[in-house]
Amino acid sequence: MEGKIKQAIARCSADYTEVRIERERRSQVLYRKDKLENLETSSELGGIVRCLKDGGWGITVFNDLAQLQEKVGEATRVAQLVALHNAEPVALAEAPVVQEEVKAHLKHDFRNVSLEEKKRLIESYNRILLSTSDKIVSTNVRYTDSLREVTFANSEGTFIVQEIPDVTLLLVAVASDGPTNIQQGFETFGEAGGFEVALDREEDAANAAKRAVDLLDARSVKGGKYTVILDPGLAGVFIHEAFGHFCEADFLFKNERLAKIMTIGAQFGKADLNVVDEGYIPGLRGNTPYDDEGVARRKTHLIKNGVLKSLLHSRETANKMGATPTGNARAISYEHAPIVRMTNTYIEAGHHTLSEMLAKIDRGVYAVKAYGGQTMFEQFTFSAAYGYEIVDGKLGEMLKDVVLTGNLFETLRSIDMIGDDRTLYGGSGGCGKGGQSPLPVTDGSPHIRIQNVTIGGK
Amino acid sequence: MDALLKMLDGKVDQAELLHLCSRTTPIEFRSGKLESIKTKQIEGVALRVIDNGRLGFATTTDVNDPSGLTDAAIAAAAFGEEASFTFPSKMESETPQVYDASVANASEERLVEIGEEAIALIRTADSQAEINLSIAKSVEKVAIENTSGLKLEEERTTIFVSIEVEKAREGDIFLLSDEAQVRHLEDLKPGELVDRLEEQLRLGKTIVPAPSRELPVVFTPNGAIALLLPLIVGFNGKSVYLGISPLKGRIGDTVLDSRLSIADDGTLVRAPGSGAFDDEGTPTSSTALVTKGVLQGFLYDLRTAALVGAKPTGNGYKGGLFGGGGFRSLPGVGMSNVIVGEGATPQARIIAGIEEGLLVEAVLGLGQGNIASGEFSNNVAVAFKIEDGKIVGRVKNTMIAGNAYNLLKDHLIALSDSARWVHGTLNTPAIAVDAVSVVGQGN
Repeated sequence: MEGKIKQAIARCSADYTEVRIERERRSQVLYRKDKLENLETSSELGGIVRCLKDGGWGITVFNDLAQLQEKVGEATRVAQLVALHNAEPVALAEAPVVQEEVKAHLKHDFRNVSLEEKKRLIESYNRILLSTSDKIVSTNVRYTDSLREVTFANSEGTFIVQEIPDVTLLLVAVASDGPTNIQQGFETFGEAGGFEVALDREEDAANAAKRAVDLLDARSVKGGKYTVILDPGLAGVFIHEAFGHFCEADFLFKNERLAKIMTIGAQFGKADLNVVDEGYIPGLRGNTPYDDEGVARRKTHLIKNGVLKSLLHSRETANKMGATPTGNARAISYEHAPIVRMTNTYIEAGHHTLSEMLAKIDRGVYAVKAYGGQTMFEQFTFSAAYGYEIVDGKLGEMLKDVVLTGNLFETLRSIDMIGDDRTLYGGSGGCGKGGQSPLPVTDGSPHIRIQNVTIGGK
Repeated sequence: MDALLKMLDGKVDQAELLHLCSRTTPIEFRSGKLESIKTKQIEGVALRVIDNGRLGFATTTDVNDPSGLTDAAIAAAAFGEEASFTFPSKMESETPQVYDASVANASEERLVEIGEEAIALIRTADSQAEINLSIAKSVEKVAIENTSGLKLEEERTTIFVSIEVEKAREGDIFLLSDEAQVRHLEDLKPGELVDRLEEQLRLGKTIVPAPSRELPVVFTPNGAIALLLPLIVGFNGKSVYLGISPLKGRIGDTVLDSRLSIADDGTLVRAPGSGAFDDEGTPTSSTALVTKGVLQGFLYDLRTAALVGAKPTGNGYKGGLFGGGGFRSLPGVGMSNVIVGEGATPQARIIAGIEEGLLVEAVLGLGQGNIASGEFSNNVAVAFKIEDGKIVGRVKNTMIAGNAYNLLKDHLIALSDSARWVHGTLNTPAIAVDAVSVVGQGN
């Protein structure tokens, strides 16, 4: 295949050509309620060509690799059409030419584990969820593994073959106490690892089930403004969703007004706020040794000492904004061109303990684990899986339906304490952007305390 | 019979092959300018086998490795779930005109032209706004064949346009978006999208504070998804089977206001979610869910129907609640087209009758919160304040919350007289309800 790819690129008349070929093998075990719903092993083979001709992008996606040469020609043709309609030609920032092979190192290689063994493990977790209480009416227990072999080549001479492993486990218990009181508890895991990621999760399964049952008796939070402490999981989702996406330069680079808001050097938080996107930390789901433009990983400080330090870039956005590519051009698969994405994103640890944060809060909310989140520019909203009221510096009753909202910039400025207990989560889902979902990412944070957060509710 | 299926015939109890060939051309404009053109040609197959009474599943895009696919599916079946259903045998169903040759033949140049025209229209109304636009055409050929003798094929075309308009000024960014999805080129009316966006731009010029208390809220067709999503989850036979639908066991009960009727209809001519058959080869149908407030039924795929002893409704779709999931995932229960019956009052008159309230066009965080119970809790993305029957400006940083079942049963004010297609396959009028809890930040 290597020869065919290089030949197709050499024969191409575009100014820049890249080819990405992907081969994937994946399996899934899914239990819902008391039944096995899916047992699957699937495979994928496909390719994408991206060409720049006269400054226009043309892209082709295909499965039949025999058509590679023809698809390179088609990408060049549509790129020319784009160039005809756009007077602002695209150019790419320089990137070192790389020739490398990146192998996956799996502790417990899931390819050597039979589908039967995977099934038995997931069935055992499902049994724990179901047997915790007779109020558990349903479950959703899903195991996935995948190994992608991605070959990337471009007309500058870069040729990279990477193996990208991903293992996830989702444990959801649904409890019910009458037709309108339905609650869920969940735990999720995801790593760029082997079968070990899914092992020994019995206690987590029991916790998920117990939480679902506990939530049946939890009180709905009353809407209003609160001092809020976010646990590391929820704080990680906050920094990813509300702030991280704002740093993705493809969102800013053609929009002067937005780019101005995100001027490097702008003060965004207090001096102890540090936010990082880091392309490789052993085992993390967001790991991207080389991105889908062949640019090597790096550690990027987005906020350093409260000040905006860098954005996340592809080669195109880096060129337009006079920056260096950061290795953040990622695609979920061969069906998509790379766009600017996060990898492993986190708030660095501060020096406060959780009890220091709780002290002196008369009335507040401790919000735990993320259920979901969405942002629209500086407006964000995300929901906690559950929470606790804080009364006179102490954790009180369990709360449900905790949905937080606010303005990103005001909220960043209102972070007044950062914990010393940074934790990172891969989760079983992933990030969505521009029709590409789910992309494996990791996010995390220490506990953080924020003043004046709006919580929706009745 | 497909060679692959022939290989399996007699070797396993039953087999089903779904073969999808799609050609998609997505075109992106950013900040008003053409950015990229992509042509995508995907061919994938999904195989379900029932072997010794057990189910196995596998998919591939590796078109040159059919034996890899059959081996994987048979291997999975060795430990799979005991099959509760059989694949359907030959049946007749009519295609609801979901193919349009003028979509299939539309050139990239033609699509670029449509995009450029829409951008120019918005520019005339507002020369300052940032505009992002996507337009894509797709031609899908889906073939389903099984060892029970079923052999079906349908070609479907789609044109999808989405427009995002953004107005930024000191301390405020106003983002609007709208989209349209049609089967036939002549049903595509970008001018209507542009008109709606322009009206919102105009209404949103002034920012006004939102109060924090229970208020009447008019959900436009686009915003109504916040109320309807919990119901859509509740009508799903899978939720009923899993015991997480509050509607379980309530067929014949009055569950919504008597002015409300909701159906799922995959047979609607030229509709975005229509097709002759679902992703399991069951003919699509028109299924009444709620008629005049009374619960009529639920939606089912083959498996879920068998598990609860119901009849499949032709709602076995890949890709979750709203279908459109290609070939990779297992089919589950999904909606085809969701049709909410219209009322009799023009939206403007509903608004005119409200002393103080909100008009909600779009929400953030759809699906967050405990939607199985009917709860919704969303930040408004685009919403306006109503005072003395008039829209006085836009509200920001405001949360709305409530229980959809409760609001649509006991607090319905009115349904507007003009339904439209939103979010692809949902057709609904504006829905006005009382007593939504609103938490505003004052500005």
